[in-house]
Amino acid sequence: MLEVRNVSKSFGGVKAIQDVSLTAKKGDIIGIIGPNGAGKTTLFNVISGIYTADKGSVILDGKDITKMEQYMITREGIGRTFQNIRLFRGLTVLENVMCAFDPLSRYSIIDGLLPTPRRLAEEKRGREICEHYLEVVGMLKYKNERPENLPYGLQRKLEIARALTCQPKVLLLDEPAAGLNPTEVMELTELISRLCEEIGFAILLIEHRLELVMGISHKIHVLNFGKPIAEGTPEEIKENPDVIKAYLGEEEAKC
Amino acid sequence: MQFYISILTFTLISVIAVTGIYVLTGLTGMFSLGQAAFMAIGAYVSGFLVVKAGVPFVLAAIIAVVISVIVGYIVGLPTVRLRRDYISLVTLGFGEAITALLNQTQSITGGALGFSGIPKITTLPLALISAIVCIVLVSYLKNSKYGRQCIAARSDELAAKAMGINVPRIKMTAFLIAVAVTSYAGVLYAFFTTYVDPGIFGWKKSAEWVIMVFFGGVNSLTGSIFGTIILTALPEVLRFAADYRTVFYAVLVLLIINFKPTGLFGEYELSVGNLLRRLSGKKEERSNA
Repeated sequence: MLEVRNVSKSFGGVKAIQDVSLTAKKGDIIGIIGPNGAGKTTLFNVISGIYTADKGSVILDGKDITKMEQYMITREGIGRTFQNIRLFRGLTVLENVMCAFDPLSRYSIIDGLLPTPRRLAEEKRGREICEHYLEVVGMLKYKNERPENLPYGLQRKLEIARALTCQPKVLLLDEPAAGLNPTEVMELTELISRLCEEIGFAILLIEHRLELVMGISHKIHVLNFGKPIAEGTPEEIKENPDVIKAYLGEEEAKC
Repeated sequence: MQFYISILTFTLISVIAVTGIYVLTGLTGMFSLGQAAFMAIGAYVSGFLVVKAGVPFVLAAIIAVVISVIVGYIVGLPTVRLRRDYISLVTLGFGEAITALLNQTQSITGGALGFSGIPKITTLPLALISAIVCIVLVSYLKNSKYGRQCIAARSDELAAKAMGINVPRIKMTAFLIAVAVTSYAGVLYAFFTTYVDPGIFGWKKSAEWVIMVFFGGVNSLTGSIFGTIILTALPEVLRFAADYRTVFYAVLVLLIINFKPTGLFGEYELSVGNLLRRLSGKKEERSNA
């Protein structure tokens, strides 16, 4: 279970996020919404260790991961995707996914220089796991392609497959539907809810497409200017006057 | 004949050094302008051990490589956490410091006059076998998890960390492999020329290796090796036109960088499998047409 307790982060004088708290249990899909610049991605960056929180703490399964190194946080069980796709150029689709498995595979540098039986066994195990996750997102047939040659929607799916291979307890999806067409958004929505049921981890979801977030989230947190302004079920959020104000402006702005 | 054997041996020694540079620059994207200093450490330490202490060659070679790796670890410790451009600066400074040190410690190293009297042990077969072994090991490394993690770290450091890759550590691994290989090339060099002086291990040598890797194809091991063979052997063969050698070299490099920025080979690896695939692919295309 992930617990974010009163986390704040500033950059110089800019308070990117202030006093944000949330909890996510196994099987939860938690939506995080808010206008541009509300601090949603910063929150993800704090949880996944790209930034260290100034105040507050991030607890995963009872363990304080606030000040850990980024790669250790991933190994503890936080997987993520990026808003601007960040796949590895120079590697194939399968190799991209393998990179997420590599920190978990057990062979030494000697095995790295020679084709020892241990290396071959570990590589085979890794390949099977990675092919499984590519299959899960429906991308197995592209495994030998170069990711930069694939359409946008597939690159997004590949990012998800790569994050899954880290075997996360909590998966952070940063705008997974950005730039997708309506059909792809539907497929993605279906994929996210299926993953959550089958693999049974918690998902935190940043998304601007409200129909997606409202459709699958169990709970939604709304941020505005770095501050939490509301939390609740999708129905509660839709009715919340503060949220409507943040998105649409004050009453008198209406004509 | 002797002349050509000598060129061939020099070329093979360069090939060995460049396989190290390939791991560092090609796979991991780190530019070292002080890599030749590790060649110097390999050359001087092994030469010194054999000449002054009477240590057998093989043992001296091993000790020299181990010492280089230890020095490399100390240099690498603060360096691998830096941004790429700073890595070049730190290694450049380190390399020049080593050359200066060799020049200053005249009583031990012979200073600028050089260190001579090293027995001639390196032969063409030894250089050839060493080169083949290095190439095979590095090509296995490229396809292992270490190779993949190096490429991932080169391509996107932040994303690599987010996948659980310990980026400073993988950079250190790549650096130390490069150091070990380069210093071994230094050992072979010292026992081939029987004489070393600090001048040959300056930053120009390091830069030359980086150029060779880029010329042949920074993403291809066989490309890097091919580039090295051309750029090492060509100036020697063109000796009759000594005055225009550098011009020719410069033009060749400029042409490649301008018209094929990924190098001669790009990402293509020369191997029997790839060759066959290419041939059969051509046939399929033809039959389709």
